[in-house]
Amino acid sequence: MNVAVTVDAREDIPVWLAYGTPVFTVLAALAVSAIALVVLDVNPVAAYATMFVETLFTEFGLRETLTKAVPLILTGLAVYLPLKAGLFNIGAEGQLVAGALAGTWIGLNVSLPGLALVPLMFVAAAVAGGIWAGIPAYLRAKWDVNEIITSLLLTFVALEIQSYLLRGPMQGGTGNFPQSERFSEAAMIPELLGGVHAGLLVAVVMVALTYVLMTKTRLGFEITFVGSNDEAAQQAGMSKFYVYLFVFVVGGAFAAMGGISEIAGAQGRYRAGFEPGYGFTAIPIALLGRNSAFKVMLAGLFFAVLFVGGSSMEVAFGVPAALVEIIQALVILFLITAEFFKSYRVGIDIKRGPTETPAQPQRGDD
Amino acid sequence: MSEHTTLRMEGILKEFPGVVANDHVNLSVERGEIHGLLGENGAGKSTLMKILYGLYSQDDGDIYLDGERLDLESPQDAIDAGIGMVHQHFMLIPRLTVAENVVLGEREPATAFRSDAEDSWLPAAVRNNSLVQSLAGQFSLGLDVPEQRIQDLADQYGFDIDVSAKIWELDVGQQQRVEILKALYRDVDLLILDEPTAVLTPTEAERLFDSLERLTDEGLSIIFITHKLTEVDAIVDRVTVLREGQNVGTAEVSSVTRAELAEMMVGREVLFEIDRDAVDLGEPVLRARGVEATNNRNIEALSGVDLTVRQGEIVGIAGVSGNGQKELAEVMAGIRDVTAGELLVNGEDITGAKPKTFVDSGVSFVPEDRLQYGCAEDLSVMHNATMKDFRDGRFGDRPFLDYGKLRDYAETLVDEFDVRGVSDVTETKAGDLSGGNLQKLILAREIYRDPDLLIANQPTRGVDVGAIEFIRETLLEQRKAGTGIILLSEDLDEIFDLSDRILVVYEGEFVYETTPAEADRERIGLEMTGGGDDDGGEAETSPPPSGVTQGSES
Repeated sequence: MNVAVTVDAREDIPVWLAYGTPVFTVLAALAVSAIALVVLDVNPVAAYATMFVETLFTEFGLRETLTKAVPLILTGLAVYLPLKAGLFNIGAEGQLVAGALAGTWIGLNVSLPGLALVPLMFVAAAVAGGIWAGIPAYLRAKWDVNEIITSLLLTFVALEIQSYLLRGPMQGGTGNFPQSERFSEAAMIPELLGGVHAGLLVAVVMVALTYVLMTKTRLGFEITFVGSNDEAAQQAGMSKFYVYLFVFVVGGAFAAMGGISEIAGAQGRYRAGFEPGYGFTAIPIALLGRNSAFKVMLAGLFFAVLFVGGSSMEVAFGVPAALVEIIQALVILFLITAEFFKSYRVGIDIKRGPTETPAQPQRGDD
Repeated sequence: MSEHTTLRMEGILKEFPGVVANDHVNLSVERGEIHGLLGENGAGKSTLMKILYGLYSQDDGDIYLDGERLDLESPQDAIDAGIGMVHQHFMLIPRLTVAENVVLGEREPATAFRSDAEDSWLPAAVRNNSLVQSLAGQFSLGLDVPEQRIQDLADQYGFDIDVSAKIWELDVGQQQRVEILKALYRDVDLLILDEPTAVLTPTEAERLFDSLERLTDEGLSIIFITHKLTEVDAIVDRVTVLREGQNVGTAEVSSVTRAELAEMMVGREVLFEIDRDAVDLGEPVLRARGVEATNNRNIEALSGVDLTVRQGEIVGIAGVSGNGQKELAEVMAGIRDVTAGELLVNGEDITGAKPKTFVDSGVSFVPEDRLQYGCAEDLSVMHNATMKDFRDGRFGDRPFLDYGKLRDYAETLVDEFDVRGVSDVTETKAGDLSGGNLQKLILAREIYRDPDLLIANQPTRGVDVGAIEFIRETLLEQRKAGTGIILLSEDLDEIFDLSDRILVVYEGEFVYETTPAEADRERIGLEMTGGGDDDGGEAETSPPPSGVTQGSES
């Protein structure tokens, strides 16, 4: 028996493959996760049905999903925008925390009517998140320091600062928990129709603005160009320095708005560990939606469904919450694998017995 | 059919969606000859050779090697049949040694997995299992390289390569010989070279030709893909010309003229002589005084250059590659900082300004490396066509940009400059264009903005005859329109045909100035190699810096 494994580069990427990848990726991740469900003695079909029906077709589920989607979409944009300029913002988590802390401080210490206070909280958060993201961007633009490492490490700095503040100066409420005082009514983000807080509106507006930026403005053109070939871009008179700083600072501001939305919209106070790593989930969101800001929004919604659906699965079937993380991890793994299959064709040839050469008709008899 | 015939390709048909790349092409190559395959970019040369090398499979037609019909499904099949190919872009791993690179493609499994290994720790039953063999062949690599054998092979063909040297230590010409060595090690009888001189300096090309002669003396046959007629004259025995996927004829090189070949290639008469009308020189557009700059490794590359270019003047800069041309072009275009001296464009001192200032002052730049500075290959033709002008008010008021207008503008450029291979300016990527068409696109972008100063570095390198003619005419037209042009070229003919003034650069300084009318080629050649100094004796012992600095390690 002869076995031959061949890996060939594809000449062209078929259209169905290019567009189908995100769908296949998600389906494959769900299919593999089904194995874990079966092992836990849960019917995967019923579990997935619960997961998607509860999140999308019940009022409570939908409200939860949309609320969760706000920070996911905003942090997704925080990774997406630098990605367009060829940079990896791995530190959306830190920018979210920095922004949430700054916004919370304003919310607790400034007394203004809600109509002025909430926007001020957003501005403070955006400034803090922008500064937090501006550090790795400046280091990269000026001295070519790898932004992946700096933005990631700054996340841990932000988390330590959060820890200190919530156990020290900002600690509040009853008991000795690492959390802040409760927000006053004025500092809470008002609800929209259906009970979802207005942070959703902010997220949608930011998606639309990002879309306009990338497809209708000069700056978007520059970002695209710098992201594709920064040397050619500079030759043409574009400023890599400015573009790098811009995408990171604005990205950091997006992540920060996501943070303050979650606290002032859903939580009501800053609690340490209030969020399950939105800033890191943002990376697969941005990768799934890297072609357009609207796709980032869809990917953010999808991950929100995973989060909320995971909780309802947990309630209905006693499945550990970690399963959601498994599904997310699988989505990322399949996404990376899919990139490989998009560019390469793998063939496995199994021939039994001695190789036969089919008789060739002799052509040309010289 | 001659008894010396080694390769016959008969009636090869290859269709891609919408194009017939090879339309029933015949090709026959004799043993021991260098067979030129000549044609414009997109004429189907590469497709034909990819079929021969097993990268594509033909839709119809047959390939015979020494009378035997070949069924090539992969390059491995081609290599097994004795056909080797050296690609234009080298497929070498810089950090490995020459010998390691040579054996790399052989996929010798690691020693332990070889069925003939004596001291393997694996039992023979496991080693001989076909699945294990297949996996070991695919995923393990034996690095006990037969260096001596490879060194002998290199010596046999007169390649002066140290096989234990690492690839990154070699210059481009040597790297190319390693590629050839790779093929020879696989014991090929027929070697395909895809535009081998595109990456070489003229001196390196000479050396390559010597090596090729050696190979044919040893009985190898060589297919030499090119679009340069001078090379056909220099090295090829017989030549087959392709045009639009069809074979337009095969000829003994000694029996045809260059003009005839060019006509076969392009399908119409090609003018080698270009009419140059006199143009009145205007105000100086560029004045550079005492310019000094360093190269990427921080070594002085320009040591005090003075240069004035006037409106309507083409200043040709000749020199052996690596004498500061690249740095000179980049300094004038504002993308490399000067360490001393000053630059005045239209009388305004913009020394040390940002590239944007240069662009806005009317400086256009056609860079030597199209893919590095010239374009973003993953972006559309539209993005690339507008990468300098998108800031202009006619494409929308700041901060907005009207992509519809960008698209129209890009389409205008594509039409007026005859850029082929663009189906939709917003869909076709710049990287998908052929070299000549990409160069036309870059030139279009730089010229259509009607610059005051144009710096063109090797504008016709790696470009086919038809495009060369077009590019040269465009440069002359632009001269007539009053643009001052700096033309840097390694092609002396080009410098002579186009320039009003010729400057020779050697080790970062202008050492000689003349005009085409008064110029003496020998003198220029001497000056280019540093032999024109009054104390000329010294120059013999100090050869010019070789092409190492521009070695491609990508």
